[in-house]
Amino acid sequence: MKFFLYAATFLLIGSAKGQELFVYTEPASNMAAKSIGIRAKSTFQKSELSGENVYGLNPEIMWGASKNIMVHADAFFSNKENKFTATGGSFYMKYRFFSVDEVHSHFRMAAFGRYSFSNNSITEYATDLFGNNTGYEAGLVGTKLINKLALSASGSVFHALDNGNQKFLYKSRRNGINYTLSAGKLMLPKEYTSYKQTNVNLMLEFLGQTNLGDGASYIDVAPSVQFIFNSRVRIDLGYRYPIVTNLQRDIAKGALLRLEYNFFNAF
Amino acid sequence: MKNLIVAILVLFSFTVNAQVTKVSLQASGLTCSMCSNAINKSLKSLDFVDKIDANIKNSTFDISFKPNTTIDLDKLKKKVEDAGFFVANLTATINFDNVAIANDTHVTVGNDVFHFLNVKGQTLSGSKTIRLLDKGFVSAKEFKKNSSLTKMDCYKTGEENGRRIFHVTI
Repeated sequence: MKFFLYAATFLLIGSAKGQELFVYTEPASNMAAKSIGIRAKSTFQKSELSGENVYGLNPEIMWGASKNIMVHADAFFSNKENKFTATGGSFYMKYRFFSVDEVHSHFRMAAFGRYSFSNNSITEYATDLFGNNTGYEAGLVGTKLINKLALSASGSVFHALDNGNQKFLYKSRRNGINYTLSAGKLMLPKEYTSYKQTNVNLMLEFLGQTNLGDGASYIDVAPSVQFIFNSRVRIDLGYRYPIVTNLQRDIAKGALLRLEYNFFNAF
Repeated sequence: MKNLIVAILVLFSFTVNAQVTKVSLQASGLTCSMCSNAINKSLKSLDFVDKIDANIKNSTFDISFKPNTTIDLDKLKKKVEDAGFFVANLTATINFDNVAIANDTHVTVGNDVFHFLNVKGQTLSGSKTIRLLDKGFVSAKEFKKNSSLTKMDCYKTGEENGRRIFHVTI
C-alpha cells in the first residue's frame, strides 16, 4: 500500500523542471534540483556525399544534481551506410555560476563541458560531437530572459580525436571553436490562466564553427517550434540548414523531432 | 529579589505563541508556466504545505498550511531556489497575541525571533501581515538599500549567536 502511495505521489509530482527553452542549444538555466528528464531526438538528414537519407536517434537522460549543476548522458544511433547501429555516446555537464533574477526576467551564466565518443565513419571536416566525432569541448553560455523573449549566446573550444581506427580527416588541425546565438519567444498562450494551457514557443538559432587550424568555418540557421502540454511534455520540431560554409560538411541539413518528459525525483 | 522576579515575568510575557496562517510568495526569473509548475511542485513537496494557489501571470504563490505543523520560511525559500529560481517577495500572515514591538528591536514570538525594521512601536493583536526583508527574500538591490535601517550585525547574516533572526516589516 505504502509503495503505491509513493509511486502515485512520484507520478503526480511530475514535472519540477526549470526553463529549458532551446532546441539546438542549451541555455544557462538549470533544471530543478533532484529532477530527471528524458528526451528522444530523431534527425532526418541527407548525406551530401552519398545522397542517402540518414536517420539518427539520440536518447538522452538529464539529471538536476543540484540547483546549479546538471548532467546529461546521451546515446547515438544512426543508419548511415544502410545499417542501423549504435554509433557512440556523450556526457555533458553544466554549472550555473551566475544568476541575477527580477520578476519575469533574468540573466544567467553557466560553464559547460562535454566528452563524446563515436565509432562512426568520418566523412567530413566539420566536427560534430553529437554523434559523429570523438572529442571534448568546454565553454560558456549566457542567457537573458526579458518577459516572453529569451536570448542566449555560447562559445566553446573543442578538440577532436580519432574515432577508434578512423582517423580525423583534418589530421593535425583538431582544435576549433563552436559559437551559437539563439532567440526564442513565447507565442501562446497570450495570457496565463492555468497549467493546462498549451504553450507554443518559436525559436531561431544560429550555430557556427571555425577550425582553428585554417580558419575554415560554417554557420547554420535552425528555426524551430516547440509545444509544451500540461506543463510536463515537450515536443520540438526544427529544421537546420547551412547558410555559410567553406568547411567541408557531409551531413548538415535536415529536420529534427524531439520529445521530452520530466519527473521530479525524490532522491 | 522582587525586581528580579518582575524582570523574569516581563521577559516571559514576550514569549507568546504565534501562528502563521498563510504566506504569499512572489518568485523571480521566470515567465513560462512550466517554470511556474516547477516551483509549484517544489513547494508542494514540503510536509507542512497544504494548498498552493498559483498565479502564473504574476509569478505569485499563495500558500496555506496543514494544521499543527511548524512552518519554516527558510525552507520555502530553499524550495524556490532548488527549482532554479529566487524569491522576489514574501509576506506572512500571523496571528499575534498582544505582542509589543519596537523599531530595530528583537522580539521573540513563539519559537521565532523577529527583528522589526521601519515600524512604529505598537502592540500587535490579531491577524497581521508582515514582509520579510532578509537576504534572499528581496532583490539584491532592496537588501542593500534596507541596510541603512539598522546597525545590528544580524541583518547581514540573518543570525545572532547561531539563532535565526527574521528581519521583517509591516
